[in-house]
Amino acid sequence: MSTRDLILMAVRNLWKRKLRTFLTVLGVVIGTTSIVVMVSIGIGMNESFQKQVEEWGSLQVIDVYSSSGYYYSDDSSQKGPKKEVLLDAAAVEQFRQMEYVEAVSPVIRESMMIVCGKYVNSASFVGIDPAAMEALGYKVEEGRTLTAEDKEGIVVGRAVLNQMYNPKLNWQMQMEAGTPEIDVFNDKVMLTYDWSYGSRYADKSIKPIKTQVLGIMPDGGNNSYSVVMPIKQMEKIQKDKQAWEKKQGYSNSSSQQKKKEYQQVSVKVNDLNKVQEVQQQIKDMGFQASSLTDQLEAMKETTKMLRMVLGAIGAVSLIVAAIGITNTMVMAIYERTREIGIMKVIGASLRDIKLLFLTEAAFIGFAGGVVGILTSFLMSLVVNAVATGQGSDMKSSIPIWLYLAAVAFATVIGVLSGYLPAKRAMKLSALTAIKTE
Amino acid sequence: MGKSVIIIKDVTKVYQMGKESIRAVNGISLRIRQGEVCCLLGKSGSGKSTLLNLIAGLEKPTSGQIIFNKKHIERMNEDQLASFRQKYVGFVFQSYNLLPTLTALENVTLPLIFKGVPVKERNERAMEMLKAVGLEERAHHKPSEMSGGQQQRVSIARAFINQPQVVFADEPTGNLDTKTTYEMMDLITGLAKEYHQTLVIVTHDLELSEYADRIVMLMDGKIEKIEERIPSEGGMVKNEEKTTV
Repeated sequence: MSTRDLILMAVRNLWKRKLRTFLTVLGVVIGTTSIVVMVSIGIGMNESFQKQVEEWGSLQVIDVYSSSGYYYSDDSSQKGPKKEVLLDAAAVEQFRQMEYVEAVSPVIRESMMIVCGKYVNSASFVGIDPAAMEALGYKVEEGRTLTAEDKEGIVVGRAVLNQMYNPKLNWQMQMEAGTPEIDVFNDKVMLTYDWSYGSRYADKSIKPIKTQVLGIMPDGGNNSYSVVMPIKQMEKIQKDKQAWEKKQGYSNSSSQQKKKEYQQVSVKVNDLNKVQEVQQQIKDMGFQASSLTDQLEAMKETTKMLRMVLGAIGAVSLIVAAIGITNTMVMAIYERTREIGIMKVIGASLRDIKLLFLTEAAFIGFAGGVVGILTSFLMSLVVNAVATGQGSDMKSSIPIWLYLAAVAFATVIGVLSGYLPAKRAMKLSALTAIKTE
Repeated sequence: MGKSVIIIKDVTKVYQMGKESIRAVNGISLRIRQGEVCCLLGKSGSGKSTLLNLIAGLEKPTSGQIIFNKKHIERMNEDQLASFRQKYVGFVFQSYNLLPTLTALENVTLPLIFKGVPVKERNERAMEMLKAVGLEERAHHKPSEMSGGQQQRVSIARAFINQPQVVFADEPTGNLDTKTTYEMMDLITGLAKEYHQTLVIVTHDLELSEYADRIVMLMDGKIEKIEERIPSEGGMVKNEEKTTV
């Protein structure tokens, strides 16, 4: 029996009993819808977590720290004998060679002052490989990010600019002055490690370094209080500063690095799903590594139970629907006993009979699945509209794979539900069946 | 007289009815020859229908052998029986046994559907068959829209469409009036003779045996006697065999 004939015959048999088929399909529709909507709420939950975490920075960036430098007490993987590994240029090159790694940049941090006209502000300065800036998730709302060609120039966080003050004024007058009017792209901008710059305590021996603002990073994210510059420029400033500190006589050991080691290296992974894998590889090399996916995973973990319960509630109605399919098919066998007998006598093989019933059951599942995802789509819209209306951040989100999986799953449920009845139809004795009135 | 297509050797069929066991077929041996019209004649309860069911593989014998084209029917499993019926056997039943939701044409094509014959070919062959039974203009009617005689014609067309080696007919005219009965018997034996097919008819009607080359009379699960006939000559003659084969 050809597949085409099988399908035609199955559809025909279902069509013959329209109402019953419709009701059985309806059961599957409800089952599919409930499971899809429940799962979609779980997915929506994870998505809003991800969005939330992404506001803190890129999820695809791993921050690597030297194992001898900073110490994270909560890192259990660091137990046992430590390998002495250096977070140096060689390590950076090693990271760059790893699979899934898109960009690598050492990170140097330094607190300094930014000067623009008569205004100043302190900020956290970050020196990175300018070519990697965009990849590392830094965003600008004005101007541009650094590129490989930039030898110097800075990208400033919006908050740094908004909170600039005139050091000549006293504290109260500064408060009253409000947000300064500065045109950073055209005004003269300088950097200095003299914390008293502009005030009467200023150290005239420290020469401010002229630079140029290339872009402004938006408010809100982690970077709005930062100033980003090319790492070479940063290293030069650090050297100056160390020379100055030595001259002043209060050079301390912490700023004098014994070995040529970076405090931090940022690694950008090109695939969100590989972040944990790459992170683990870096840890295995003996470094400390952390990324925002750690936080995200922790958040997902806390709601895992809730999502499982939601899925289970959906699954119950699909189980009920599956029983409905079995019931319908068993009824169909009673009704069609004679028909089955005739088919057997005139040459239908056991396989034909079994496939016919399985196909009918699969069709019920498939039809229920298809209609089910359509109603899921509508239900999802309703859930989102209601949630938004009530100011709840609950969200239903249905990815394409869930639609496809739902149809496939409903069809499989159909086949499984039809299996028992099909087996039964197959076992009917042709002779007894044909004698049934 | 042609070679045997079916050899039945000492076949019995015992039904267990509560504590009593009933020997519906009690040690029958028979050869059915290629191309003959063989009539199993007997009263109700003589075991004629059971014998037919055994030969056609619809039931398993309690003991004995049934050999069809050198193959043992009684040893076949359900799957082998299905393909055996598909290849070699056609059925005509008293109650027609058409599928009520299918049209005449579709009912006739059914065996070819299970055989996997492409649509175009099977529709052509079914149409030809319907023409042969004189029903081409009713091809697209459902069984409920046809008379008993017409329904039986459809079932005859269905039995012959696959050019089976043997056609079994179980009381084919039991539900029909006398006139239609003769039409039907002419049709069925005509078709069988035309394609040199073997026809096994089960009936209680002595008149139907007129159409047979050989009449096997059954009583209480045993062969009472076998009559050889030459239908063209009309008369009832020739040697009366004993049950030995």
